[in-house]
Order: sequence, then C-alpha cells, then structure tokens
Amino acid sequence: MFGPTLAGRNGVSLIPPTLEHYKLRTSWVVAPEVGRFWGPRFGELTEERQEKRFKDTAESNTEIEWSTAYEGEPVGYTGIFGIDWVRRDGESGIIIGRHDLYGRGIASEAVRLRTDFAWSELRLHRVHNWIAHANRGSRRANEKSGYKQMGLQPRTFFRSGEWYDEWLGEAFPHTFPEKA
Amino acid sequence: MALGGTIRGKKPTLRLPVEADLAAYNEWMADLRVRRAHSVWHEPAMPATWKERFKEVAKEKQAVLWSIEADGKLIGLAFGYIWGLWSGFDLSQLVIDPDQWRKGYGFDVALALHRYLFDYLDLRRSDLELRADNAAALRIADRLGYVEYARGHEVAYRDGAYVDQVRLLMEKETWQERWLGEREYAPLSPGATL
Repeated sequence: MFGPTLAGRNGVSLIPPTLEHYKLRTSWVVAPEVGRFWGPRFGELTEERQEKRFKDTAESNTEIEWSTAYEGEPVGYTGIFGIDWVRRDGESGIIIGRHDLYGRGIASEAVRLRTDFAWSELRLHRVHNWIAHANRGSRRANEKSGYKQMGLQPRTFFRSGEWYDEWLGEAFPHTFPEKA
Repeated sequence: MALGGTIRGKKPTLRLPVEADLAAYNEWMADLRVRRAHSVWHEPAMPATWKERFKEVAKEKQAVLWSIEADGKLIGLAFGYIWGLWSGFDLSQLVIDPDQWRKGYGFDVALALHRYLFDYLDLRRSDLELRADNAAALRIADRLGYVEYARGHEVAYRDGAYVDQVRLLMEKETWQERWLGEREYAPLSPGATL
C-alpha cells in the first residue's frame, strides 16, 4: 500500500508515490554516491519493471511506502516492508536518491514521520532495519527517532578493498523521543 | 536451483521434494509444537494452495527447498535463501516432524546441509535466526560453530507473550577448522581421475 501525505518540518514531507516517482528511482540507485552503502548497482532497471513494482507495492498488504519530497520535489523513498500483522513487526528502509541534497536533514525528518506513523497509525509494536555501519548519516537519522543497536553483522559488504559491518537496529513505541 | 537435490547425512537425507510431501508439510505447519519452536514456512492451507506454493518455490532463483527423509519416511523439510552474488545462505526453516524429535536428526541434517553449503557450494557464510527460548536449536547451532551477532527484542509472539530472537552467523573458516573431516567426496590424489 502507499502511505498518506505526512507534512513534516524544513520542507520535508512523505507523499504517496506515483509511477513517475518510481521511474526516477532507476537513475538514483545506479549512482555511485547513492549505492556506496547499498545494492550492487545493477538489476532489472527497466520502465516495465518499475511499473510492475509500482502496481505490486500498491496492492501489497504487508508493506507501506512513501516518496520523500523536499520542497515539493521527489528526492527519495522510504517505507516499512514485510509487515507481520500478528507480531506487529516490520523492516524499514530509506533511500535519498538526490545525493546533491545529502546533509540537509531530509532523511532524519523522513524517518521521524515514518516512525511516528508506525506507532500512532499502524499500531506496530516494533520496526527493525539494517544499515551499513559506516553510513553514519543514515544510522544517526534512525537513532534520532528511537532506533537502537541490536547487533553488528561483521564483514557484510565489500567496497574499495575493505569489508564493512552492517548495523542492526530496532525501535519500539517507547523508544520514540517525546519531543521528536 | 529452487528444489534441492540429495544431501546425505548419517541417518537422514535431504532430498528432492515432491508433491506427495505437501500433506505432511501442512500437518507440521498446523502443529503447535512446531509453531512454538519457530516461525512457520507457510500457514496451513488447502491442498490446492500448497500445490501453488510448490510451483512457486520451484521457480525461485535464490531459494532452495528440500524434504528430509530417514529410514524411508518423510521426517522434515529445510528451506533457505542463497544471497545475491552467491556469498552466503540464510537458513530460514529446518523443520523436523515433532514425533521424530530427540532422535538426533536435527543435528545430522544441519551438519549435512552445512557441508553442502561450505564444501560443495563454497559459500562464505551462513546466517540463522532462532527464538531465544529454542534451546535445542541453539545447541545445534553452537555445536556447528554459529556465533551470535545480534539479539532482537520482543520479535516473535506466541502463548500470549513476545519472545526475543537471536541472530547467528557461521563463517566458512569455522567450518574448515571444526569440520575438516566432513567431506562429501573423498579427496583424489594429484592428477587422479575417476
């Protein structure tokens, strides 16, 4: 399913994705700046595949997804995936596709909006995620909304001659900062 | 890939699953002893639904399903995902028929499966998640060489309460150190042929 519009601070909002937003993603995820802590930078990156993903996500009952907008423009996406409605647990993720906008707090605000929605609207019990330990910005963005480390998976991905660990985080309603 | 072939253990054997196995799968998924120990692969369903699931898993590119047999009888199933770029494996399900518990099948199957992962597929590591109160599975993992690297809190829900989840990892180096003698094929002398 797609999430509803959530207006945030500093020009950031979460909005329901459109097919046009999905088509933007292929150019984002192949950029070295975006893929540094993420996927292999190849895949079935066709418009047809994006149309199918768009349709499948819209119909899914176990994931919720938004486009992240900054000053009205789509700059990335975020969501909660693999939701188990019995456990009330899901896995969250975020990509800021516009690397020229890194460092402006867009991810922090998007994570805050998403996490608040998980507790106050979806009534989830727990949300967890995996983040490259070296990706301090993403980790910090999640920690500000109450994610805490539950472990480190050692030597998980390889970049430029070095192995990097993966940080595993989890958040609960009671870890969400009161003044967030 | 998708449907796994023969891997022989000391007593049990992982073998190619067939449609005739699906009724037993359904019974295990409906058994509260299984459900208490770990998450289910699929919820119980009609035979037609299981056939659909079977067709789907057969088409999977990164997932493998095996049936487990001992003394000519179906006793379990194993299911896991091979990571992209063939670097590792997530052992998602290792279900033994509860009526066959405490016979040592779990460890035998796990040892044979890991021999296949490291000695045959040459994977780098295997990953596992277990409920923190599943003492039998944790003992098997420890004996094989798994090491805990994360603990999720209040992850699984059953019997009216949450239970923690332990995430464990086993590296190929550990396999090679601990299970050096475990080989599917006897080594050939240099230059020898079969």
